[in-house]
Amino acid sequence: MAEYYSSFSKGGRMWFLQRITAVILIGTLAFHFFLLHFVNHAAEITFAGTQARMSQVGYFLTMIVFLIAATFHGVNGVYNALVNQGISGTPKRVAKYGLALASLLLIAQGIRVAFAMAGFSL
Amino acid sequence: MAQTYDRGAVEDVGRWREFSAGMWAWVLHKFTGWVLVGYLFTHIAVLSTATGGDELYNTTLQGLEALLVVRLLEVGLLAVAVFHILNGIRLLFVDLGLGLERQDQTFYASLIVTGAIAVASVPTFLAGV
Repeated sequence: MAEYYSSFSKGGRMWFLQRITAVILIGTLAFHFFLLHFVNHAAEITFAGTQARMSQVGYFLTMIVFLIAATFHGVNGVYNALVNQGISGTPKRVAKYGLALASLLLIAQGIRVAFAMAGFSL
Repeated sequence: MAQTYDRGAVEDVGRWREFSAGMWAWVLHKFTGWVLVGYLFTHIAVLSTATGGDELYNTTLQGLEALLVVRLLEVGLLAVAVFHILNGIRLLFVDLGLGLERQDQTFYASLIVTGAIAVASVPTFLAGV
């Protein structure tokens, strides 16, 4: 077998979720970039245009899935990188719960922003 | 069957001159991952102006987009995202045991395609600044 380096141990639930979110993000990140930089140029983005997009249920739900997948994949990736660097004990626990809290806050704020964009106030 | 041998720890970045293609792929995937997760938090912070009404949202986004440095950073962000996606697809195939004998070539292909897309996007990103 050829030699290869993997930063994750196989078999774990988090390992699997990291890959599932990766697959989701391949589609959603490419779609997001293409739509908001090439179809609609970022400089021409207005609240009205954003609201028109976010008022579509399918688009709204796609963006929520994108937010949750990106937050999990990114924050879990940071945690994996820190574990790779060899943190253990209290620093590892602080990183774990600190990053989990940061994720929850980001997702909560992201959902609040998504509703504001769709014209609802939370 | 390929030989396995100890290339040393990729975390020991002081010996970067000795790094193989696979180790550079690992380093670049980590680096682009850190950039993207940092940007994610920044992006939600900027978009949070939507909770303050349409005028605040519009002036914030248009004010940022009027800056050349923001446009250049967006090209950089695109390059970072494209590389992370392409190398991520490569990693998914590696995890599935596919293309193990062509890992170096697929890494170089990821770099070349990333460079081509980033360069091709420059006119779009710099339009009207």
